[in-house]
Amino acid sequence: MRMKNNFTWLALAITVLLSTTAFAQVTTEIEAGYRFTSVSGNEDLYRTQIDEREGFVIRSFSVFTPQSTGLTDFLRVDATDIGAGPSSSVRVDTGREGAYRLRVGWRSMDAFSALPAYANPLLGQGIIPGQHTWDRDRTMFDVDLELLPSAKITPFIGYSQFRNEGPGTTTYTLGGDDYLLRQNLDEKETELRIGTGFNLGPVYGSVTQGWRNLESDEVLSLARAGNNGSTPVLGTNPDASQIIRSSSLDADTPFTSIFINGDVLKNTKLIGSFQRFSSEADGSDDEVANGNFVSFALGRFFTGFNESVDSRAKNQTWRGSARVESTLLSKLDVMAGYRTEHRELTGSALINTLFLDSITFGGVDKRNLEEILEADSSIDRDVDVLEAALSMRNLGPFAFRVSASVADYDITVDPDLEEIVVPGNQSGDFSRRVNTIDANASYSKSLFTIGASARLDDANRAVLRTDYTTRDRYRVRASFHTPNNMVRLGFTGEETNVENDLDGGGFNADGRSWTIDAEAAPVDVLRVRASYSILDSESRARIRRPETFVVETWTNDEDGEVLEGGIALLLAPVSLDLNLSRYENEGTLPFSVDRWRMRTVYDFKTHYGVSAEWARDRYEEEPAYGQFDADRYGIFFRYRR
Amino acid sequence: MSIRQTAIGGIVLLLFIGLSPGSLFAQEQQQPAAESSGMTCGDCHEQAKDFVANPHARGHVESGTVPRTVCESCHGDGTAHMEAGGDTSLIKVPRGFDGAENTCASCHGKTTERRSHRMGAHANQPAVNCLSCHAIHKPAQTLHLVARPEPALCASCHGTQASSFRNKPYTHRLGGSSMGCTSCHDPHARPGRENVRTTASGETVCLNCHGEKRGPYVFQHGGLAAAENDCATCHDPHGSANPNQLRRATVAQVCLECHSPLTSETLGSQPPSFHNLRLPRYQNCTTCHVAVHGSNRSPQLLK
Repeated sequence: MRMKNNFTWLALAITVLLSTTAFAQVTTEIEAGYRFTSVSGNEDLYRTQIDEREGFVIRSFSVFTPQSTGLTDFLRVDATDIGAGPSSSVRVDTGREGAYRLRVGWRSMDAFSALPAYANPLLGQGIIPGQHTWDRDRTMFDVDLELLPSAKITPFIGYSQFRNEGPGTTTYTLGGDDYLLRQNLDEKETELRIGTGFNLGPVYGSVTQGWRNLESDEVLSLARAGNNGSTPVLGTNPDASQIIRSSSLDADTPFTSIFINGDVLKNTKLIGSFQRFSSEADGSDDEVANGNFVSFALGRFFTGFNESVDSRAKNQTWRGSARVESTLLSKLDVMAGYRTEHRELTGSALINTLFLDSITFGGVDKRNLEEILEADSSIDRDVDVLEAALSMRNLGPFAFRVSASVADYDITVDPDLEEIVVPGNQSGDFSRRVNTIDANASYSKSLFTIGASARLDDANRAVLRTDYTTRDRYRVRASFHTPNNMVRLGFTGEETNVENDLDGGGFNADGRSWTIDAEAAPVDVLRVRASYSILDSESRARIRRPETFVVETWTNDEDGEVLEGGIALLLAPVSLDLNLSRYENEGTLPFSVDRWRMRTVYDFKTHYGVSAEWARDRYEEEPAYGQFDADRYGIFFRYRR
Repeated sequence: MSIRQTAIGGIVLLLFIGLSPGSLFAQEQQQPAAESSGMTCGDCHEQAKDFVANPHARGHVESGTVPRTVCESCHGDGTAHMEAGGDTSLIKVPRGFDGAENTCASCHGKTTERRSHRMGAHANQPAVNCLSCHAIHKPAQTLHLVARPEPALCASCHGTQASSFRNKPYTHRLGGSSMGCTSCHDPHARPGRENVRTTASGETVCLNCHGEKRGPYVFQHGGLAAAENDCATCHDPHGSANPNQLRRATVAQVCLECHSPLTSETLGSQPPSFHNLRLPRYQNCTTCHVAVHGSNRSPQLLK
């Protein structure tokens, strides 16, 4: 399949290349070749993290012509990493002045995951990878056509399609045991947008009406029959001989978006926006299971069940905003704005389950048992934000901006009774106010640039335990370069402190990271680069253990250190680019990542050349479940005209 | 000195110096306009010939030549410059803040519901302006005429995020043109949440690629629907040391930080007592609660 796709793309590239020869002026670039891979260690984790596979690759492809035809003023086609993946894209851009602009985009990503240790309860038995895996293709396609009949009105129409499909595995807890299921998923979302932009001098904006639809089909089936490791329950060993579930979902979402800007005075703008969407998702499920199962909720054993589910969920959301921006003095801008949002989520499901051949734990009263659940749930969320800002952008070499905002959140959660396992904390009304002050300043004069910013958030209440009651963020930047850019130095430092200290909340998270980097080009043909980064974070949360109710503090650390270096040599017609890096994390999940990248190009003729690439990634972790050492070698032919 | 102290000290110091008398009301300089003549810029400037592929020349290229009016739309009337044999003092060369403000913004200064020419995170100022990121004559790539391709361009100021993307094991794949910093961030938008793009219907930008997680679901994951940070409550979009770009190293920690209410004030259920965290099965919540993003069929998100 992939090989077939490779040839399709190659044929397409050649077709585009040949078709553009009709144009007198055309700029063409293509670099295509073959990538070899050599992976030792855990190939699943290599694919999860990197996933560059062996095969034909169009590394880059670009065609451009500015030549006017009767139909177009210009045409540009760009493509990257077509073929062996893992991420590919194609973009087409064309148009004609005063007539239209057409943009088409296509992207494809390989989505693979097979983690050895994460979320894997069978790790202690030496079973890797974990039971949740997927190997899917995600593709996205967009086309946008803008009509330009006049400068005042610009109608547009757009279409997007997203697809996520492929196999996977997951787990299912049923009747006293957990079972591994094979999964086949096909999700397709389409979106149609129609609207117009308008520009009536001091008043301009846009109106968009869209329709989105998601269709999802999922089929699950038992991967391995029998008992999956659970111990006997009341003398019965749970097992499954068959589990099949098929689900489908159809969600429609019409949406409206309006934006308008009015230059009400010479130096004053009034900007307003309104968005609304109403999503309605209808789902249906059918499930059949056979085997030996036990249910403490029913107080019975049963030999199987048939279940059907009909569901409907809605999301109705609207938001509106208005703000005014004004230039009071030649160097002073002010802004005041208000935003309000309302989200209403409701859901209802009718779940009809027939338990087959059920008997009590005492072994009597054998019968099929039907259970019907009608569930209703809702969540309402209102947000109101009032903000004001002041900006002085050009006080000689200085610039300042300061803003303040007050955000009010009102959340009402009303779950179905079936969702509540332990009373409390799953429903109710929650109000939260967040006050924010944000300030930053910068200075830039010839060789030096420095900047600093601080953002302070203060909340009266946490809705989730990990919500902050105070959050402080600080950032510092500085850079220096010599007059001829022979040397450039840069520094970025960031610090974030998050805390929830209400009622013994006991949650806090601190992050501190900084990077210093230097670039030097002592001669025209040589450029060297080095950087050093610290990426640290620490969070602490008080946890009540469910089995003992003992409260203890859990911590999560990332203690990362990065060292990077690179050298670029340009000795026409040969160039060399070499980069090395090492990231070492001594935090909760200790590991190290070493990356080598080398690329050399030899342009043996004006329009022709070859390039060679070598990439190596070595991942080591402690304890060692998913280590790998992966080399990729590529040889590519280059053509430029 | 900590980053916090440096940041606060830096703001105060720069404010003090910048607001000193004379800074606030300094006048901007205007370039005088010149008369036109019949020569083309490409007669002397090789880069004017290269401009044929530039978006600014779109629709104006005549027989493979960029007409003089295209250059003059930014550089002003070049007649005097030409007649003086190329005297550089007689041609306008937009640079820095003034160049960006008076030249680029005269066409590209539109304000939208999220973008703001005046209040944006990267609004024109001496430290960062249009010409810090865009190279009009020698762009690294024609798309948006950026001076360096993403993410290297953004990395010149946002070094820690770039380092995280380059080095952490679980990240979005940046590079090429399939994804970059600007896939999620609008560099011309206002700071904070306004700087993060949305879907066409105004939802969190993550749903542009992960539309299947949008719902709505009958049984919402309450925190997900109610939370301030949406997906970023659990996931770190800039790369993570943890699988699935999660913010915590173990599944139990991801879940129990919210699902361990110590008071009645916060939203989040307490797992029942049979969830014995000493057993591997219960340390890995998603073994049973697979539908963590929401479910239409299981109140406890079991399927």
